[in-house]
Amino acid sequence: MPGVEIKGALSMQIEIAGFPYLSAILITCVTGLLVILLLPEERKGEIKWVSAGFSGTTLLLCVYLFFAYDKTRGGLQFVEKVPWVPSLGIQYFNAVDGFSLPNLLLTGIVFFTGVLTMWQLQERVKEFFALYFLMVLGVFGLFVSMDLFFIFVWYDVSLFPMYLLIAVWGTTRKEYAAMKLTLYLFAGSALLLPGMIYLYVHSGLNTFDITALMQPGTFTTAQQKFAFPLFYVGFGILAGVWPFHTWSPVGHAAAPHSVSMVHAGVLMKIGAFGVLRVAIFLCPEGWQYWSGVMAFLAAFGIIYGALAGLRQTDLKYVIGYSSVSHMGIVGLGLSTVSVEGLNGAVFQMFAHGIMTALLFSAVGHIYDRTHTKEIGELGGLSRVMPVASFYFILAALAGMGIPGLACFWGELVVFIAAFKVYPVRTVVALLALVVSALFMLRVVQRTFYGPPNERYAQLSDVSFSSGIPRMILAGVLLLFGLYPALLFDVIETASIPFMNGLPR
Amino acid sequence: MIPFQAEDAIHMTVILATLTPLVAFLLIMLGTRARKNLSAGLSLGAIAISFGCSLLLLARLWNVREPLEYSTRWVALNRMEIPFGFLLDPVSLLMLSIVTLICLLVQVYSLGYMAGDPGFSRYYAFMSLFAWAMTSLVLSSSLLQLFIFWELVGLSSYLLIGFWYEKFSATQAGKKAFVMTRAGDVSFLLGLILVLVHVGNPAILEMNSLDSAGLMPSGILTFAALLIFGGIVGKSAQFPLMTWLPDAMEGPTPVSALLHSATMVAAGVYLFARLFPFFALSPTAMGIFLFIGTVSMILASTMAMVARDIKQVWAYSTISQLGFMIMGLAAGGYFAGVFHLTTHAGFKALLFLCSGVFIHTWHTNDIFELGKGGARRLKIPVIALVVAAGALAGLPPFSGFFSKEAILAALALSSHPVWLAAGLLGVFLTAYYAFRVLCILLFPPSAGEEPSGPVGGLAPAPKGSRQEGSSRTFIWPLIILAFLTLLLGFFQGPLQHFLLGEGKALLVDHGEQAGWLPFTALFLSLAGVGLAWAEFGRCGAARLSFVERIPFLRELFSRRWYLDHFYHFFVDRIVDRGFSKLFAQNDNRVIDGSIEAVSRGTLEAGRFLAFLQSGMIQYRLLVSFAVMVLLSLYFFYRDSGGF
Repeated sequence: MPGVEIKGALSMQIEIAGFPYLSAILITCVTGLLVILLLPEERKGEIKWVSAGFSGTTLLLCVYLFFAYDKTRGGLQFVEKVPWVPSLGIQYFNAVDGFSLPNLLLTGIVFFTGVLTMWQLQERVKEFFALYFLMVLGVFGLFVSMDLFFIFVWYDVSLFPMYLLIAVWGTTRKEYAAMKLTLYLFAGSALLLPGMIYLYVHSGLNTFDITALMQPGTFTTAQQKFAFPLFYVGFGILAGVWPFHTWSPVGHAAAPHSVSMVHAGVLMKIGAFGVLRVAIFLCPEGWQYWSGVMAFLAAFGIIYGALAGLRQTDLKYVIGYSSVSHMGIVGLGLSTVSVEGLNGAVFQMFAHGIMTALLFSAVGHIYDRTHTKEIGELGGLSRVMPVASFYFILAALAGMGIPGLACFWGELVVFIAAFKVYPVRTVVALLALVVSALFMLRVVQRTFYGPPNERYAQLSDVSFSSGIPRMILAGVLLLFGLYPALLFDVIETASIPFMNGLPR
Repeated sequence: MIPFQAEDAIHMTVILATLTPLVAFLLIMLGTRARKNLSAGLSLGAIAISFGCSLLLLARLWNVREPLEYSTRWVALNRMEIPFGFLLDPVSLLMLSIVTLICLLVQVYSLGYMAGDPGFSRYYAFMSLFAWAMTSLVLSSSLLQLFIFWELVGLSSYLLIGFWYEKFSATQAGKKAFVMTRAGDVSFLLGLILVLVHVGNPAILEMNSLDSAGLMPSGILTFAALLIFGGIVGKSAQFPLMTWLPDAMEGPTPVSALLHSATMVAAGVYLFARLFPFFALSPTAMGIFLFIGTVSMILASTMAMVARDIKQVWAYSTISQLGFMIMGLAAGGYFAGVFHLTTHAGFKALLFLCSGVFIHTWHTNDIFELGKGGARRLKIPVIALVVAAGALAGLPPFSGFFSKEAILAALALSSHPVWLAAGLLGVFLTAYYAFRVLCILLFPPSAGEEPSGPVGGLAPAPKGSRQEGSSRTFIWPLIILAFLTLLLGFFQGPLQHFLLGEGKALLVDHGEQAGWLPFTALFLSLAGVGLAWAEFGRCGAARLSFVERIPFLRELFSRRWYLDHFYHFFVDRIVDRGFSKLFAQNDNRVIDGSIEAVSRGTLEAGRFLAFLQSGMIQYRLLVSFAVMVLLSLYFFYRDSGGF
């Protein structure tokens, strides 16, 4: 990784360059969490304002970081390094590069808009926002951490509030979904831990520092081939890699709206990001060895998710399956072992996160009003709630890969990169574009078109103030759809040096 | 957002031509939806500016031979650069003028047609979106950029077909149109990626230069050409992806006139013309294109012969005429194809707009009903309809005659006489179905039998014979288009000069034209007209076409050669109840089933272990006793050599 001095990796010095923005994000989350815990339960309005304030602050910090990142220099920036447990080589080591920066921005956006989406919540407000903050804290931590041990810790921090958030505030079959999801994800984490220990022991460096462990020659080819699948499956479960995806539709459907937003928008990205940051960074040769399998699983997942989504009757299940399909595109990009593939994959992570957040946000409004997610019971909503319908349709169009909206670029670049390496698998995956158009349009037709439904004639549309989160998300989709270079230029600062540094 | 810096006045004009409709779209969506007149004004103003700019460009670049290219950096990836640019050459400038002119006329026409619709502003917003996407598509300098706008044009088509979203059939048609064209687009995208991988840069000029033959092995080139043609098949509704277009007639009639006849569906043919030198590098591919074009033309003509819905007839006719253009292009007649594209845009839009007047007045699409209702009383629309139908049938003074002759001439020089024969058959069928509609409309039974003239024997038309048909916004577009249809044919020479330069024809030399051909074609057209008149027009006609006398053919034609049945079967049985059901069940049973088996196994194992740990003394004693017995047996047998 150019631009970073590795010499200090073993010597464990405190290195903090300038203001610690990354820690500031984490501290903001923690402070927010504490303030929420200190406020009495009855003061619901204040809890919401506090949540919005703190999450807004993290968003501002993320936006600042995104634009303050020096693209000409590239590499790791905003480095903060403090020894934590020197005897084991654990450090509190935060930094961002071109891969984590888009995800950080994504988390900031989804976090803030998620809080605003839950503005109507009345039940156990305090606990909800406290757990919500805790979950996002883990997500932020994972994206900025460069220490393997901390990555593992943040991973679990982000997962465990999920159980409560779904089981308490969820809807359809919530206990079942919460349990299923938790077991699935902790099964993943059960694979990660041995993998991590395996690498730690075999490196012989007595450090969890990723920049040190990723140096070529640290691990033999055989070790990499062994460790890669552990991380790939461990994180891949969270990314909805086929055939470990069945938690995702169920979990999405059961979770409350903003949790679905964070869940599909950000948590699935943690999985993909973990594959990139840990599996691919530390075991590049294992990556090259297993890439064909990855591409197969991804391509199959893309078409499988789209086809399985076709038969779903619950709005959130449909979105859940579309997530499986879209995350397959990320996986396909990662499997290409090329700069373009990485670019496209990271772009798609960002775009998909925003898109699903918007979908869930729109569904949230619809569910709050109609109290149903069954597509068969809806219909004709366009007349009653034109604005909510507009946001849903916009996000659905983005999901179908309409140019001008962000997802198009992720898909396009991934498909171009993948076609060079795996022509047949790419063609199979491309067929999913037709199927996903079919099922998205079906949902749109059955939910929003048709004669207005009498039952819903009195329902209110999204008001201006409650439309703000959707407006932000839609704006972001459009911005990066029309001017994708904004994001690609950042990602390239990481992908080109990384691929150049690979042993061929 | 995109750092536009105009290089010179021409670049400025181009940016203005493409971007003003986008601005109008955004303004309407963001602010003026509640104010109908303002929305319409914005949209009309934008398209008028666009049209003005395109005329300016046409005038300015009439004599410039070298294509002009402007491009700005848009997305630059490692080894892939996606510029945002404009390519100005004769064919794009011609298409730009056609598109903006028809957009303008149709938007004026819509002022009357859509008046009072609750979605009036939304209508104009979508129209502006379409205008932006279409003008940008036409001027795109790279194939990737073209693809992007190609998709956006498809989006606006979807939105406009399903404009009346409370009507089930309309939303269904919109969905069908989008998904079917999407299937073609995926093929297009694949072809694009192939080109990108081999040529490295999908700039249209670079693809069209002969270098691409050197960069791509001929097999791959043919394959790429065929894949890109898949996009054309989808967008221009050619065989086998043709059935979405007749369904798309669910949209408002001005939309059908603009998108689904004159401009958007013609984008496929435009792409063919755009990449003509590239496609021409592969004779095999050209042969296949010729075949597809021919099949589409004949199939759609036969469907048009039995349709009762006036818009459907014109929709089939659009497919057939687009197939005819593709035949011309694939036979090597570059100018012939583009010229027919031009004339067709005029007369087909005219046909739709005239039909729109009838539909708006009598609220029915059925030609027999319209005829009985007294369609012939609307003088100007009827005259315009006659002009347009004459052009469609290929009768001499009208524009269609000239362009049709040009295509037939190209076909005459193609490899095999069967193509020319098919073309001539198409001419006959086209003339027949065009005048069938005309005769049914103009000579309804009552009027023919009672000598009392135009108003005699008329039942009061349903919902009133509101004479909105003669309002000004309706009439002026009709008159302008009718004049265009009358005059355009005589500009063949200048147009050919503009498109091809100093008489150099691409691929085929038009010099050695067979002298008998124009007369044969004209004779066949007249025969078609005559047959239609004999069956539907003259006094005491049976009003039954020769096709309808044969039940098998009638069924086959009116059921669209069972293509829809096939698609329905495919989507319903294979996709929906096949793969989709299989996968959904697989998720429920196999994957979740095994996961649940694991968790149940864990639970049961835990329960068993918990049972052992339950602390009940008798069980413990029992277990200890059993273990001791087993152990003693074991030791006993081991020591006695039993093992």
